[in-house]
Amino acid sequence: MKESFAGGIQRIEQKDDRTLFIAWTDGRQQDIDVVALRRVCPCAGCKDEWTHKPLISPASIPETVRPIFIESVGRYALKVGFSDGHSTGIYSFDTLRGLSDTHDA
Amino acid sequence: MNILSEVSQRIFRKPSLVTEDAVRQALRVVIDPDLHKDIVTLGFIKKIAIEGAKVNVVVELTTPACPVKEKLRGECVAAISALVGVQEVQVEMTAAVRKTTRVDHAEKIPTLAGVRNIIAVASGKGGVGKSTTAVNLAYALAAKGARVGILDADIYGPSIPHMTKAPMPTHMDGQAVIPPESGGVKIISVSMFGSADKATTLRGPMVSQIVRSFLQQVAWGELDYLIIDYPPGTGDIQITLSQLAPITGAVIVTTPQDVSLIDVRRAMQMFDTVKIPIIGVIETMSYFICDGCTKKHYIFRSGGGQKLATEHGVPILAEIPMEAIVAATADAGEAIVKAQPDSYAGMAYSYAAGEVARQVAVLTMNDQSGLKGFRLEWRAL
Repeated sequence: MKESFAGGIQRIEQKDDRTLFIAWTDGRQQDIDVVALRRVCPCAGCKDEWTHKPLISPASIPETVRPIFIESVGRYALKVGFSDGHSTGIYSFDTLRGLSDTHDA
Repeated sequence: MNILSEVSQRIFRKPSLVTEDAVRQALRVVIDPDLHKDIVTLGFIKKIAIEGAKVNVVVELTTPACPVKEKLRGECVAAISALVGVQEVQVEMTAAVRKTTRVDHAEKIPTLAGVRNIIAVASGKGGVGKSTTAVNLAYALAAKGARVGILDADIYGPSIPHMTKAPMPTHMDGQAVIPPESGGVKIISVSMFGSADKATTLRGPMVSQIVRSFLQQVAWGELDYLIIDYPPGTGDIQITLSQLAPITGAVIVTTPQDVSLIDVRRAMQMFDTVKIPIIGVIETMSYFICDGCTKKHYIFRSGGGQKLATEHGVPILAEIPMEAIVAATADAGEAIVKAQPDSYAGMAYSYAAGEVARQVAVLTMNDQSGLKGFRLEWRAL
């Protein structure tokens, strides 16, 4: 089991056309590619509930997909409404922190 | 009047002897036992007035239900009295409950904008006295001077209106219902909403929708504490509530037996998953005191709540005894902390409420969880 992050988000903003910037309360800063975010949607329609295998192929998500809104879910996650009409994914802070940081890449 | 006191009188009457700075410095020895910082650093000193040898100080605590209020007051008086030139000290203790959320969640749920802290009262299974606990915590906090509301979200068995004799809501503020009051506490129950009586036969998504709408459509106004009576267990409604409402912390109610503890562990895991801090555990039906003697009879097993609290690293807030009067007062529509404040259970609940207020104040001051209740609109660039 991965260790759970106890903190939260200090600052969140749109960095550029397809990059979401998050400053975490522990000081870590992360750039997240929003197209990649859509491709790893953790909802039950996009990921098998038991095997966690993706049910959508990355290629089926166009490069042009963008968020419409991003909002907080309780104290532990974000919900993203995407331009392809998909908005059922709840991204926990642990999931988000596990994503690759496009700034370092 | 002898010559010595006359001289000292003359010296001490000089206003220059006591300064505001000196008083402020003196008060730095008074440490808040929960926040481990002195009350000056914490910004609790709201006013220092000096008039000759008379000093008047106003201290603002983070909760009117502070259990160590008198102790702190005594320490303040002692610290100031020790200053040269001070003959009379008056320390007034006030309170302003701080808000949990750093960013207003007004945009997401405008009706909760004036609510400073939301406390979930939850349990692993039904019948452990969760609603009784919610009601008594609410009335005990109100008795200590806080503005309190109860949201009865136990969709499968809403019992708060019965326990408080709360009337049906009759007024609206725009689209929002104005909660009726009973004994100075604002009360809203799912049972007051037409759609709720079908809830027992509704399934997940529908139930979540009902919870959502009645969270968003109640005009709570200004509250220090909103107590949410959760349905027992760990289903859709509990998770929806935890996602929608910016909850400060959860109070877990359990009876001492192992079967109750197994389920309650699951409830605690749920709060961990959604990162709602657990304020502490309240154990109900801990022991029985019969009419004839003062011996505590542990009918169920003893120490279950303590075990759970230790295991999870959270405080046990109270052990509530079984007393016939608890159920009798609940059925009569009055909280035991109001009807029989000197009973064992009444005192235990009153103590628990003080502990809840204290833990909430600590959580609020040490909150490291960052932004809450935000929404970011993505712009086309």
